Amino acid sequence: MSHEEEKVKVIDARGSYCPGPLMELIRTVKQSNIGDIIEVWSSDGGSQRDIPKWTEKAGHEFLGVIHEKGYDRIRVRKTR
Amino acid sequence: MKRILVVGGGTGGTIVANNLAHRLHEKLVKGEIEITVVDSSSLHVYQPAYLLIPFGIMHRNEAIRPERDLLAETIKFRQERVNKIDVNNRLVKTDSSSLQYDFLVLATGAQPDYSQVPGLEKGGYDFYTLENAYKLREAIGKFEGGRLVVAVTGIPFKCPTAPMEFAFLADSYYSKLGVRDKIELDYLYPLPRPFTIPNVAEQVQKLMDDRKIKTDLLFNVESVNPEKKEITSIEGETIKYDLAVLTPPHTGSEVVRVSGLTDKGGWIPTDRYTLHVKGYDDVYAIGDATDLPVSKAGSAADFQAAVVSTNIWDNINGFPPSLRYDGRVMCFIITAIGEATILLFDYEHPPSPPPPNFACYWYKLVYNRMYWTVTAKGLLPGFGV
Repeated sequence: MSHEEEKVKVIDARGSYCPGPLMELIRTVKQSNIGDIIEVWSSDGGSQRDIPKWTEKAGHEFLGVIHEKGYDRIRVRKTR
Repeated sequence: MKRILVVGGGTGGTIVANNLAHRLHEKLVKGEIEITVVDSSSLHVYQPAYLLIPFGIMHRNEAIRPERDLLAETIKFRQERVNKIDVNNRLVKTDSSSLQYDFLVLATGAQPDYSQVPGLEKGGYDFYTLENAYKLREAIGKFEGGRLVVAVTGIPFKCPTAPMEFAFLADSYYSKLGVRDKIELDYLYPLPRPFTIPNVAEQVQKLMDDRKIKTDLLFNVESVNPEKKEITSIEGETIKYDLAVLTPPHTGSEVVRVSGLTDKGGWIPTDRYTLHVKGYDDVYAIGDATDLPVSKAGSAADFQAAVVSTNIWDNINGFPPSLRYDGRVMCFIITAIGEATILLFDYEHPPSPPPPNFACYWYKLVYNRMYWTVTAKGLLPGFGV
């Protein structure tokens, strides 16, 4: 991933458990503009499984996961 | 004199107060301790009855008792509306009193918030208030066929198993009436599985497939159109319905929000083990009001009430706290009229439910009656565990 120059909205959902991070992402996507990148920080392993599934169904673009110590940074672009 | 103040006379608040009243009876009689419960309502409602009222399995008179009658005589009950909770000055202001405390227990609950989804309140039915449960009973009885949609419109909500139980009960109810083949049953859920806990979700999905309950997953309700009888999702789908049973999103009570005690979702930040409101050793939060990563369910409040009442007792008697909350929750899942399973889990151990059976269903119905005489009376907090 290389979106450093683009504006990224970060949702720090560390410490929140399934389905908290996914619900936070959905709320944020709803309030965002087309083209915005949203990055969820999640320490819940289930987010890696659930977020790509939701992104695909909702027609947005899944940009990938960056593994950090104790949590993941999961990026999504709103496309519609 | 030490003053214990409980805000909220629901399941958690009532169990904490009653259990402490039993343990501290002599000190209460001598005037060394004071326990006060404050709630704007004089009535205690057993909310799990709401799910069963639409199917005629429970009734109004089994769901409500006067709070005063449930509380031990040594407990003071104030039917007052709480307007402000000032945890820095140990002061709770109601519409007619200023109450000081040494220990404060916040058991302020959660409530449906229909405003979060346009069209929700007019578009369908729900069973999250007594009045709505009876309206739904009428609608269920009059429904002659078509598409019955059961949908979760926001997470978190009270009793995470209730919407799927409603779908199972509807399947069973109409099957017994011999009209199930006239009804298309759809279950809409926001996650990629029909329940939050993956291994339970697998079993639920299989049951739903067997019962011909169609699941539409990753369906996050954006709006409901009452005129067209349509539900639209954030994901871009639209589903038509003839009868909709819609679980509303929930939020914490207004008083904790206006007192600055909540996160942005309206829930009280609570230590997951001690149940202290974060930053305050003299304030506890239990039940639906907390931000704990467990079900918003009466059994969770019961297990938490056991921890809080024990640790307050310890403090008053000069002992260190002797219990931690381990995330324990116990939930029944009714899978048909006459059939249920049970989930018992905690922070570290996922549930491993037995196959649905009659014994669990019977126990659920017996428990509903036992609630008034054992559970709410604080006689067996935390189910004795």
